[in-house]
Amino acid sequence: MIYIVDSLNAHEYGDLLDNMHRLRARVFSDRLGWDVKVKNGMERDMFDDLDPAHVISVDNDGQVVGCMRLLQTTGPHMLTDIFACLLDGEPPLRSSTVWEATRFCVDTARLGRGTCRNSISYVTSEVMIGAFEYGKAAGVTDAVAVIDPVMDRVMKRSGNGPYGYLGSPKPMGKVTALAALMDCSTQRIERLREFSGIRHDVFQPQHVELAA
Amino acid sequence: MALNIIDLSTVKSRDENFAIFLDQLCQRLDLDYASYAMVGPFAGTVQGYANYPEPWKNHYIRQGLHRVDPILHKAGRSIAPVDWTRFEKDQSFRSVFYAADDFGITPQGLTVPIRGPYGDRGLLSVTRACPIPEWEKLKAAIVGDLQLAAVHLHDSVMRSSVLSRAFNTPALSHREIEILQWVAAGKQQQDIGDILAISHRTVEVHLRSAREKLGALTTFQAVGRAIGLGLIFPC
Repeated sequence: MIYIVDSLNAHEYGDLLDNMHRLRARVFSDRLGWDVKVKNGMERDMFDDLDPAHVISVDNDGQVVGCMRLLQTTGPHMLTDIFACLLDGEPPLRSSTVWEATRFCVDTARLGRGTCRNSISYVTSEVMIGAFEYGKAAGVTDAVAVIDPVMDRVMKRSGNGPYGYLGSPKPMGKVTALAALMDCSTQRIERLREFSGIRHDVFQPQHVELAA
Repeated sequence: MALNIIDLSTVKSRDENFAIFLDQLCQRLDLDYASYAMVGPFAGTVQGYANYPEPWKNHYIRQGLHRVDPILHKAGRSIAPVDWTRFEKDQSFRSVFYAADDFGITPQGLTVPIRGPYGDRGLLSVTRACPIPEWEKLKAAIVGDLQLAAVHLHDSVMRSSVLSRAFNTPALSHREIEILQWVAAGKQQQDIGDILAISHRTVEVHLRSAREKLGALTTFQAVGRAIGLGLIFPC
């Protein structure tokens, strides 16, 4: 299921946030080799102090298996700063109805292939459904997401590739990073649900039926 | 989308017009009351406008409720609009919302937080007394309009301060300028997408960004201002 954790409810989700920062360390530092700060096995940066909202996917065992960080493009965000290079020196978009998504990742070591509950594909879709439904309810219509080519491929394969890109891909650690545009629309959410088979409310816990 | 509200960047006597803006917003979106507060980047100063009844405004100021108001202290830390049911019912909440209730103001409201580039945060709050299902429906219908109104109001208030004006030159990207230039040349969004080999939605998102950076409510206004600033040429 998906938890939305921001500065208003962070005090209720201390462990969840710590585990999210651990996942981010494993993905962005260990696997992708980005130049990020890791302390006590947790990856954090200055943007975590700017009251972002985190979209966190938790599996049936209570493990954090996916996450994404959202910030408003009207204020300071990564494309105005750390990721400015991705825009080839151009100023970033600024709109109250466009959010920026960064640190989008899933636990590829824990999740498998295929499309079951514990697959990369399922959790990727679940995080996106959670983020887009959250954005849509907030009146947000589009998101600009900083992603790596693997995530770009996963999204395209799920019939949900970005509708456009800003600037050009730039090397970052062992891979490249790019700024992709996605619509926060009913259509995209429906395509994600169709592809993943996720029909339930992702913000509600699922009761697992145990085989007899 | 054409917003049928006063364009704050064209008016002189600003305080009065911010109040009219709030009145028009209530009228157009079927709301009871609206208020706006700007928490400045410098020393946390608060500047506000509201169309609440005078007795409530006086009580609020006399009691110094801005010191504890969860709207000012919490809503700005969310990236999404905050329904007031999200606030914990603690002492601060009670001292503001229970008191408001005594003045006939419903605690059913929504605050749309806007963050500016300099650490400034703007909060547009609206209320409407009605059954909960109707409130939910209303919110879903107007939240997009409220986002646009909130950023327009916030940027206008920020721009009206002398210190901020010094910082404020709209930073448009080449793509945004290029698209505005094609709009000025009379091209439709679809055509512009074809010309530049990008999707029409990408054209739209750049246009929206350009409008907000220029403080314009419509694309025509944005073109006018871009010409005025020498960013594009009149065709």
